[in-house]
Amino acid sequence: MRVLLLIALMSVSLTTAFSQPGGKRKKNRVSYMTKDRKQREENKFLEKQWWLGLKGGTNLSRAVVTTHFSGVSPTNYPLDQAYKEYEEFKSFGSQVTLEGTFYFRQLSLSLQPTYSRSQFVYTNHYNWRDPENAGHSLELHYRQLQKTEHLVIPILVRYDLTTTRLRPFVQAGAFAALLINASKEVTISGTDYASGGEHEFSGDPIIVGASDLFTPAYYGLMGGAGVHYHQGNIRLSLDISYRYGMTNIVSPAHRYGNDRLAGVGDAMDDMTLDNIVLSLGCVFPLRFLGNAYKAVDNK
Amino acid sequence: MHDHTTSPIKSKRGSARTMLWLVPALVMFCLSCVEETTPELEEQKFARLYDDNRFNESLTPVDVAQTADGGYLVLARRRLPESHFAGIYLMKVNARGEFMSAQEIDNQFVHPVGDLMAIEGNLYFFCMDELTVQTHIARVSEDLADIAITPLQAGLTYPSAASADGNDIVLLSYDHVEKLSVLSRVSPDGSVITSRGFDIGVGEDVEEPIINHFIGGGKRFPFLAGRIPGGAWFFNGFYNYTFSLVFTDLSQDQPMGVVQGQHDDGGFSAVVPIASTKFAAARFNFGDNFLLPNVLLTPTGITSSVDYPGNTLPELVPNATVRILRTVIDDTQTLVFASETRSKQIALLFYEEATGALLGSHYLGFSNPFEVSAVIETEDEGLLVCGTAYLAGRFPRICLFKLPREELAEKVR
Repeated sequence: MRVLLLIALMSVSLTTAFSQPGGKRKKNRVSYMTKDRKQREENKFLEKQWWLGLKGGTNLSRAVVTTHFSGVSPTNYPLDQAYKEYEEFKSFGSQVTLEGTFYFRQLSLSLQPTYSRSQFVYTNHYNWRDPENAGHSLELHYRQLQKTEHLVIPILVRYDLTTTRLRPFVQAGAFAALLINASKEVTISGTDYASGGEHEFSGDPIIVGASDLFTPAYYGLMGGAGVHYHQGNIRLSLDISYRYGMTNIVSPAHRYGNDRLAGVGDAMDDMTLDNIVLSLGCVFPLRFLGNAYKAVDNK
Repeated sequence: MHDHTTSPIKSKRGSARTMLWLVPALVMFCLSCVEETTPELEEQKFARLYDDNRFNESLTPVDVAQTADGGYLVLARRRLPESHFAGIYLMKVNARGEFMSAQEIDNQFVHPVGDLMAIEGNLYFFCMDELTVQTHIARVSEDLADIAITPLQAGLTYPSAASADGNDIVLLSYDHVEKLSVLSRVSPDGSVITSRGFDIGVGEDVEEPIINHFIGGGKRFPFLAGRIPGGAWFFNGFYNYTFSLVFTDLSQDQPMGVVQGQHDDGGFSAVVPIASTKFAAARFNFGDNFLLPNVLLTPTGITSSVDYPGNTLPELVPNATVRILRTVIDDTQTLVFASETRSKQIALLFYEEATGALLGSHYLGFSNPFEVSAVIETEDEGLLVCGTAYLAGRFPRICLFKLPREELAEKVR
């Protein structure tokens, strides 16, 4: 009986002993869980965010020739002397981008429709000489400036390397470029050694609309890096990307379609177009946790 | 509050789905826009200037013909510094107009005369010996590997014009001894089947423009030789002191009929017989040009070229070169008049053969001066225009423009 009483007493004592702190803990636990849930909700909310903004900047272009074509066909000198010489990443273009980004746990999916103006230049050089009279010669130079306007639609996956206020990121994706407009400007200059002296001359440029000479669209891959700086509710961004064109930008069916250009022996090569794109901009969050649109992300 | 926070989320989820759908749609659109170069595209349309970097070289096409491999062979005159006459230059290009090879014929042979005629797998043209001025016939294989030049069996001199008549050739030449315009039927082997001479008139003044035509630097005349299908032969040349269109049956010394010009200041610049008395023609008169896409000429009477008014074209250079091609464009029997404008472009004017109505026009060549030499129909029912491009405004070089059938159809609609 004593044993039974002792066991019962111990049980009650233990229960009481454990129940006292347990009650306090329950109270604290509720408080902690509420805070935790709130924090987790905030974090969960922060893990998903839509950002919308604008950015703009400059770009440089490079035409990559896949097949050579020439309107001038040499009959007594090698064909490659009639090939064009391209200037790479020398002519500045510009672009403005509307950025829509869905952010989730440092990863972002970003759609960035861009109005992009690009320029690239190629040149041709010809000369005619009299083998029996060195003074009889003429040099002629054609400088052809291509200006294109595209609606570039990139879809990018971006990864924020940190979650700090200054966040470096890398991004990669694909893009499609839809032609809006294009023009060509041909400047002819030369040096005449045969008309009584050394005479340099230059004509007014021939400027023609050239939308028909380019394909309606091309696509490619792009990648790059940049940084975000969180300031208040907005992110300031600076990024540099490389757009790698994968398909021909020249319309083969219209290669000789412009009589003005055909008249000077111009026929565009098949080519892809690469761009280095530098952009500066800011984006705004579309969701807020705090009151009065107070920033939720104070990092 | 709950609704306030969840509905935008749903909306944004919808946006995300839209964005995901956009990706394949965009990819498919872009793929559909990708244009790749094909050999067919390159053959259908091209424009080429054939450059020779020798400062003193001068190349002026005479005629062009399509070869069995789809390429083209161009016959041209080239300047010979040591001769009064033009030398002979042949150029072969492939179906895309890319230069393949060229031959400069020995300077013994000069003054190439078109047409460049395709007969039984070979191409033929006429030229003459520089010293004897005797007419020679040149046979050229399509790849320029085999070129044979043989004198005609009869002593014809100064070849002026030629065209194919089945497997025979109609040749106009000038006999400087007897002062005759001579029209002959010639076989490709060089034998003369029949020949008739027509008196140009008496006196040095009559002969002078003819000789100037040959030695270059002087006015060039649109000499022609041909045959009305199944009917009389004709030539466009000097007869009875006048540059005239002369019809003959090649059996009498007197012509069947003559359309007289205005001494050497007027006459026909191009003539293509359509039927027995129906012609497509062009004429010049003291510098003015007139196109006659639908004209009835009398092969058995004597008339004057000014009796046929035609459409005047002030845009053309004075006494313009005119080439006429009969062809079918967009299911319409069409006459293509090719000429050169005062702005130094090549003009193509399309007329309906049945009515003579103008269907459309097209101009080739800008920035450099251009002149027309020939226009032919190609195997793919396009047009090939051959001419002279003055590169840098000063170097005469051969140029070719290939126009596709679809583009021509748009011009005549």
